[in-house]
Amino acid sequence: MLKIIKLEKKIGDFQLNVKDLSLEEKTIHGIIGNNGSGKSTLIKLMTGLLKPDTGVMDFGTLTKRDIVITAPRPYMLHDTVYNNLTYPLKIRKQVIKKETIMEWIDRCGLSGKEKQYAPSLSSGERQKLSLARALIFEPEVIFIDETMANMDPDSVVLFEQIIFDIQSKKPATWIIVSHQLTHIYKLCQCIHFMDAGSILASGTPDEILLHTDNPVIRQYLSKYTIGN
Amino acid sequence: MQFWTSMGIEINQEIIDIILLTMKLGIVSTFISALLGVPFGMFLERVDFFGKKVIIRINRTLMGFPPVVAGLAVYLLLMRRGPLGRWELLFTFPAMVIVQTLIIAPIISGMVYTSCKNMAPQIRNFAISMGADRWQTFLLVIKELKNDIYFILITGFGRSISEVGAVMIVGGNIKYKTRTMTTAISLMRNKGDFGEAITLGFVLLIISFIIQCFVDFLRRYEENVENN
Repeated sequence: MLKIIKLEKKIGDFQLNVKDLSLEEKTIHGIIGNNGSGKSTLIKLMTGLLKPDTGVMDFGTLTKRDIVITAPRPYMLHDTVYNNLTYPLKIRKQVIKKETIMEWIDRCGLSGKEKQYAPSLSSGERQKLSLARALIFEPEVIFIDETMANMDPDSVVLFEQIIFDIQSKKPATWIIVSHQLTHIYKLCQCIHFMDAGSILASGTPDEILLHTDNPVIRQYLSKYTIGN
Repeated sequence: MQFWTSMGIEINQEIIDIILLTMKLGIVSTFISALLGVPFGMFLERVDFFGKKVIIRINRTLMGFPPVVAGLAVYLLLMRRGPLGRWELLFTFPAMVIVQTLIIAPIISGMVYTSCKNMAPQIRNFAISMGADRWQTFLLVIKELKNDIYFILITGFGRSISEVGAVMIVGGNIKYKTRTMTTAISLMRNKGDFGEAITLGFVLLIISFIIQCFVDFLRRYEENVENN
């Protein structure tokens, strides 16, 4: 269980205050909420990209090496697509197998682009590459911060399939931030709704997205449709 | 040889020695300036401390440090009655290196600082998000900024070989000892020896042209890689 207790962070006028959040391991969690509600800040605090003012984060025996985060606008190394994929393996001193790299390139729909300069990829392709780069070393915890926002619908389906594949073989803990509620509904076993820097509600997708009585969540949901 | 002579260009041992000394001075000064300026520029970007803004302002002021003033300052330090007079460095090669380092190092550190300020935070965030440790993060920042650093060093070298006032003051323009291409041109013009002055001017232009070609080559290489 990943535990967060009394986590606080003040950035300008914004105050994040998460009193108690427990994330079950090997589960796919979704974090939703309006823009500015603190979703990305929470993720950055959990991954060490930001330092909290106060609070405790207990990830058990997990280390930084077991955790990965993908950003909404992922950074591409000034190198080829292939070498971008080898980076997480290199820093972990893992064996780099060409077949594995090529398999991930094919799997995320970038076939034939292994020698392409990664920063020259389109925004959707960059997001695909950043997801592949995050998953290639089989992390224990994966934070996805609106990384699928610029992907075409087929690619989103493709990545949903990849996530399901991973969960059926070697399950990981996923924390997905997204406004694509259909995608969140399909993937997640647990959803946390954030509002004004706090977790307003946590529950199953049905509880949060379909049968909630909370007026704030209902207002948020009224702006989106949950389709197939 | 007759062709060059008819063009007013004279090549003799003295000219060759002057060219070699100028190149040696440029390489040594740029190397020492890089050793000081690159880490200092990175340090300024990375570390927050009291008075940092003042240091940055001073560095920016020194980027436009008039060479003659730098020459005068080093002269006063190294002159026989000066605080460092007992080292007997005035009118020697090390004195010229010191003054050139004083001129070039702030240019290198200032440019590295600006380059790091624009790029390093996202590179660091990426490295941390991938699970890199401090050393791996530092190495990645260097690797990603290497082309910027090449350009900065070439700029520093260009500044070194074209500098005249400061090396004239602390070097003394002594034949076979501290005479560089620019100081020699100045002297030969005064003597009315235009043949050698033209030769050195011509060589200086060729060196500048080669440096420009190298910069263009690096840029084109980067563009080719980007467009592949």
